[in-house]
Amino acid sequence: MAKKLEQVAEDPFWFQECFLMAMPLGKKVVNLRELLQGLREIDESVLFYHLIQSRLALGQPTVEYPNDFALWAANALQDNKLAEKLSSFDPFEYQNLGLVRQAVADLLEEYLWDLPSVPWARPGFEFHFCQASVVVMHSLISARTLKEFCEALTQVGMDSIYYHFFEARWRLGELKGDDFSFWIETNFGLPELVKAIRDVDIYFYNLNELRETLLGLIHQHLEELCDHPG
Amino acid sequence: MITLDDYAPIVGEEVVSQLYRLAEHLQGRRFVHINSTAIGGGVAEILSWAVPLMNQLGLQTDWEVIMGDPAFFEVTKAFHNGLQGFKVNLTRAMLEHYRQVNLENARRFSWEADVVLVHDPQPASLIEVLRPQSRRWVWRCHIDASRPHLTVWRFLREIVKQYDASVFSMSQFAQNLPHPQYLIRPSIDPLSEKNRDLTEEEIKAVLNRLGIEKDKPLILQVSRFDSFKDPIGVIQAFRLVRRHTPCKLVLAGGEATDDPEGPEILAQVQEAAQGEPDIQILLLPPDAHHEINALQRAADVIVQKSTREGFGLTVTEAMWKGKAVIGGAVGGIVLQLRDYHTGFLVSSPEGCAFRIRYLLHRPEMARRMGQTAKEFVRTHFLITRHIRDYLTLMILQDNPDSRLIEL
Repeated sequence: MAKKLEQVAEDPFWFQECFLMAMPLGKKVVNLRELLQGLREIDESVLFYHLIQSRLALGQPTVEYPNDFALWAANALQDNKLAEKLSSFDPFEYQNLGLVRQAVADLLEEYLWDLPSVPWARPGFEFHFCQASVVVMHSLISARTLKEFCEALTQVGMDSIYYHFFEARWRLGELKGDDFSFWIETNFGLPELVKAIRDVDIYFYNLNELRETLLGLIHQHLEELCDHPG
Repeated sequence: MITLDDYAPIVGEEVVSQLYRLAEHLQGRRFVHINSTAIGGGVAEILSWAVPLMNQLGLQTDWEVIMGDPAFFEVTKAFHNGLQGFKVNLTRAMLEHYRQVNLENARRFSWEADVVLVHDPQPASLIEVLRPQSRRWVWRCHIDASRPHLTVWRFLREIVKQYDASVFSMSQFAQNLPHPQYLIRPSIDPLSEKNRDLTEEEIKAVLNRLGIEKDKPLILQVSRFDSFKDPIGVIQAFRLVRRHTPCKLVLAGGEATDDPEGPEILAQVQEAAQGEPDIQILLLPPDAHHEINALQRAADVIVQKSTREGFGLTVTEAMWKGKAVIGGAVGGIVLQLRDYHTGFLVSSPEGCAFRIRYLLHRPEMARRMGQTAKEFVRTHFLITRHIRDYLTLMILQDNPDSRLIEL
């Protein structure tokens, strides 16, 4: 297995850095019906922000709700049932953002249908729509072997982890895929490791924990300690 | 002199190295900040470290402060209160005076810039005169403008609309404006005198100097004497706690030169605390950063019971010192405090009292929440992230219509 760690890839993996600037639209909704209406009208970039990008914008101290809609249902509407439903919603099950939008809208419509009254947000807790501008920059960090890859993972910022592990799923058009597993698969094979990385339940880790999880998986699958502190 | 590299042990080498590489794409750009006070208040504090660090990164960054007479600051305080939702009266003469003072200041400014960042309403109307002196104008609003008073906003909106972009601290504060709006969270400097590590001896020395005997658990609120910081509500909460648990309260406030209401509120607070030996009111000079630092580290519970808040940097400072904070559920405090994780949000003196008692009786829980709070600040609210946002903002100003920029 040590050999596998030293095997040189055909293409090195270049880490990218990703700077996200959130852009509020100045538009808010005060109740669930308005959210449903808003979801049908907003740009797909807004949906992407609230489901995926907000994780990088301001990660929660502990990952309790995986997207802004679930967080709002819990904190602002104080509707735990809806928060649970939205927490279980996985945008990566859909092929594109149009389908994601339809699925969220269906979920909210069905939920509203059975309610005797429309849930309202507490004053001051309205939902504010946002999108983001993103600046992507080459880092100076690259890896040609899995050993170097492990070392690099400990050096790059959390924005890199986000870019290659979350944003990549849309960029690659393969919703279960990410840059890391794609590189390992195309350069080294290792189908079990690739599957394990793709099966990581990304919703229950913050970006720092994801870094540790990835290192742990590579280590576990190659039965070899990668160089990383702690 | 503190250099960017000094932050690497705190935030990580990769974070500092990112800033250098991002700045390479902006070499030679001229960046000007304009605000209305050189000392006192969060904006002046941010600029006092941001400007030298941006210069270290190779961006020619200048900081200009506009000057005004007391009548001007009465008007801008009315703007401030109005943006925070208070009903205020603005006469035509007041608005004319506001524009006139800005016009006089504009005559002093001869710089030319690529991007100007104008902080808050005081210098906002400079754009009406100085527009040709910068390629891009960005208005930076630090105030909780979630429910502005319409008369004030109607006036300011006509000025703000002339800008190329605006920046708010929270999406709640964003407005219906015809240009891109961005979010930049404020931040604190972990190496500043207000936030650097202190020894036990240093802390004790400050307490001795200020005459604070640490014979009972210490509850602290640090903020200007401003009605929106609700110092009276803190005294009410303290009296409720004291029915159950012995403790003492310190209200420590500085003065900002652009806040004419300070003395009046201070008098009200002194009256409310009269005859109560366990309440100490400290009026500290604006540069008492070392004293504030020691007080925050000495405190058992830190409160920021604001009823309106732009962001609440005192909350961030306390979290960085590993304290679980009790804060009013308003503005940016909501972003920072999560119940049972990093602190508690409260909406009344009773709620504040209840949470103070909780933390006093569960020191282990308070310690654990404080540690989570510190790590949360490390990731999101230190100046390195703030500088990265400024650099990103400048890059976006070069490409205003693009949502994805690959360098």
